[in-house]
Amino acid sequence: MEIRIQGVSKRYFSEGKAIIALDDVDLTIPANQIFTLLGPSGCGKTTLLRCIVGLETPDSGEIRIGGEVVWSREKNIAIPPEKRGLGMVFQTYAIWPHMNVFDNVAYPLQVRKLPADVIRRKVGKTLRFVRLEGFEKRPATKLSGGQQQRVALARALVGEPKVILFDEPLSNLDAKLREETRKELRTFLGELKITAVYVTHDRVEALALSDTIAVMREGRIIEVGAPRKIYFDADHRFVADFIGRANLVKAKVRGHDDGHTIVDCGLGAIACHGRDLPAGSEVTLCIRPEFIRIAKGEGGAGRNVVNGRVESLVFVGETYEGEIRIGNELLLAKIDPDVDLKAGDPVRFSLDPAHCLLLAI
Amino acid sequence: MDPSRSKLTYSLILIVGVLTVGPVVMLVLGSFSEGLTAFGQFTLDKYVEAYTDPALLDVIVNTTVFVLGSSLLSTILALFLAYLNNRTDIPFKFLFKILSIVPMMIPHLLFSVSWALLLNPSNGMINLVLKNVLWLESAPFNVYSLWGMILVEGLLDLPIAYLIIAPAMASFDVALEESSRVFGAGTWRTLVRVTLPVLRPAILAAFILGVVRSLASFAVPSVIGMPGRVYVLATHLYQMIATGFATDYGKAAAVGMSVLAASVTLIFVYRALTAESEKYVTISSRGYRPTVIELKAARIPLFFVVAILSFIMAVLPVAVLFYTSFVPYSMVPSARAFSMMSLKHWSAVLTDPLSLLSLKNSLFLGVAGATLGVALSIFVAYVIVKVKTRAAGILESLSFLSFSFPGIVIGVGFMWFFVQTPLYATLWALLIGYIATYLPYGIRPLASAFVQVHSHLEESSQVCGASALTTMRRIIVPLLVPGIVSAWILMATMFVRELTLSVVLSRPGTEVLAIQILRFADDGLWGKLSALGIIMIGISTSLVLIATLVGAQFKAEQSAG
Repeated sequence: MEIRIQGVSKRYFSEGKAIIALDDVDLTIPANQIFTLLGPSGCGKTTLLRCIVGLETPDSGEIRIGGEVVWSREKNIAIPPEKRGLGMVFQTYAIWPHMNVFDNVAYPLQVRKLPADVIRRKVGKTLRFVRLEGFEKRPATKLSGGQQQRVALARALVGEPKVILFDEPLSNLDAKLREETRKELRTFLGELKITAVYVTHDRVEALALSDTIAVMREGRIIEVGAPRKIYFDADHRFVADFIGRANLVKAKVRGHDDGHTIVDCGLGAIACHGRDLPAGSEVTLCIRPEFIRIAKGEGGAGRNVVNGRVESLVFVGETYEGEIRIGNELLLAKIDPDVDLKAGDPVRFSLDPAHCLLLAI
Repeated sequence: MDPSRSKLTYSLILIVGVLTVGPVVMLVLGSFSEGLTAFGQFTLDKYVEAYTDPALLDVIVNTTVFVLGSSLLSTILALFLAYLNNRTDIPFKFLFKILSIVPMMIPHLLFSVSWALLLNPSNGMINLVLKNVLWLESAPFNVYSLWGMILVEGLLDLPIAYLIIAPAMASFDVALEESSRVFGAGTWRTLVRVTLPVLRPAILAAFILGVVRSLASFAVPSVIGMPGRVYVLATHLYQMIATGFATDYGKAAAVGMSVLAASVTLIFVYRALTAESEKYVTISSRGYRPTVIELKAARIPLFFVVAILSFIMAVLPVAVLFYTSFVPYSMVPSARAFSMMSLKHWSAVLTDPLSLLSLKNSLFLGVAGATLGVALSIFVAYVIVKVKTRAAGILESLSFLSFSFPGIVIGVGFMWFFVQTPLYATLWALLIGYIATYLPYGIRPLASAFVQVHSHLEESSQVCGASALTTMRRIIVPLLVPGIVSAWILMATMFVRELTLSVVLSRPGTEVLAIQILRFADDGLWGKLSALGIIMIGISTSLVLIATLVGAQFKAEQSAG
């Protein structure tokens, strides 16, 4: 089911000050995709999710779920959350402590007054799906974090909603469990024909899980795109910086050549991924650390070859993180742990124009 | 915040403020007034009169010795028991649990009475036995003394001290002790140099709470102190307002001011100390079992000490009252005594109109008071937990204020208030006073219940398609019920036994159980007293048992679904 959000704004009043949580948001979430709202804390992503589910009332705008208007200021429509027929996994899981696993999962069906044998069958099927068979009688308080997460997922899925919403569902798990659960979630959601809206501030989670990512900041959607597009070819400086570690270098466009855009910057003249920008315009050159491939010693000149000096080296396990000094610029680079380098050594690297991203804004 | 919530917060601040700060204000104003009938005419006479009273010096010395002595006794005993339970291989550890919940069942008044029955100089049972056995001329013990008061109050405050020290002892980081052992210190030296200093905040907190409680105590000073003419501040106050021809509420208020000030100060110190003790104990490593010290040869003797203490705390008082309620007059248990047993006192009590009136009044106050008190507590706890504004913070401090108010002093404050109103000498005056003084007992369990109900739990039910009513019925109420039940029971048990506030506010026609028992004690009618006392214990014990059962039932339901 497609979700269409038009002109939704929401303001909070806290200690006499107005805080703009959502600033005229327009967004279309395509059907049957895993769609992620990504952004730093306080960017309005959770507020947007809560507006979709109906736990929060926007100040203006319109929200449609699958063609049905669920909220509209102008048309004076406000369908309460219990009538929207959605599924949601809360950040705290919100597993009811006074019920066992079965009752927690059966609840959405019980409130719909389905016959008991139907409920039993559906709950059994859903618990099997999330691999919690045999846990029916277990009290909710006797579950591990990962199990609670799966009960919450089962409860959200059991009513076969067309849309399921996730509010940072992995943030309460420890790092290792988070990684496993993320993979599991991907598998679960991949098997279902369902629209999933997923809120997170974790860029790895967003990249790994999503079909489409919307990056938010200060109540606005900055950019929407597939994970690879957002990572490699973001239009906005904020997005490029937020989605991964990036070296951002000030540059000025010199001209265009052979499908590449040539810029002048602290690294010299660099051929970049082609972008339609007029000569002389101020831009930002974005280079991800993993695309700076360091070789020892100074090297000959050539296109996009840069000479520098190792400023510092930190061993972080699978790689060294090195800071490379080139004139006034300091670039972060990932260096193979078996390269024999130490601080002060001269180094060279060449940059693939495809990975030199130009950001106009 | 939406306006309805802030309206609720402010009206609660108003109600709780009137209930807790109101009597204090009236106490202050009263202390500067000529008398109950001449309220508001400023005078310093009462202060001059109260503090130049030559008897006051004796009273203060007695109070100091009584308060420090009993707190020291309860703290040392609690420390001893907590250490044995948490750190040694002493057998039958369930005894310690009994020790910590006993005061819920046996009201202080009756505990004191039972000791008077055992150790009074003229016909105390232990004294009679010892006189016979040892061929003594006079009774070896006189409980009607400062020492007797210290002993009984110390035993009464033992459970609360234990409840403060034991958790600190349990969560104590054993690595601290182990490192001391590694560096060459023995068990005893480690105890003195490491364990006790680290536990110091908890120990001090237990001691100070003991001081506050014994300062506010009325049962022991009246039942054990007054017959021996040992007066402390609480009984000194009581004399001014309840005995003699001219009651003087102005003078009582003037003296009460210092008691109140001392008590409030001590509670602040106590709060600071508990905050610090929590800081200390959080160092503990989770899931780590502390090493158990083997008592070896001392195991059995130490166990006997604990067993005797448990017997004294839990069994003896009830047994003595039971026995006394059946025998015609005080006598040592013997074949003759058992042959003379009858239901005389029971039938006397059950046909005595005053006893029946007091029973009726206490039951009414217990049921109506707890119901109203819990209703108020639900709203207060809701605001404290769910509405996190500055006003809610003020409400929280206000509602826990009465913890530090000595009952008899705050009773004098209420008296100054009620005589200005038609509530004077009605049960409603007692009801209001009870709720105000015991409000924290209702708020505590409810606040922790509300903490459990995270807003996501409600919202999640909504998203699942449940209406507001269904959410209320299936999610919110079941999560709150255990809190409501325990708050109700706690308040009801406190109200059924209430003594200190009642001695001030109770008037002919509004007698309550504790007042009637005190009257029997004054008249030496021990048999009737014991019968009525057993009824009182029966009521509070069944309330506690119901609470435990309901709690267990609820837990079972939760796990069974």
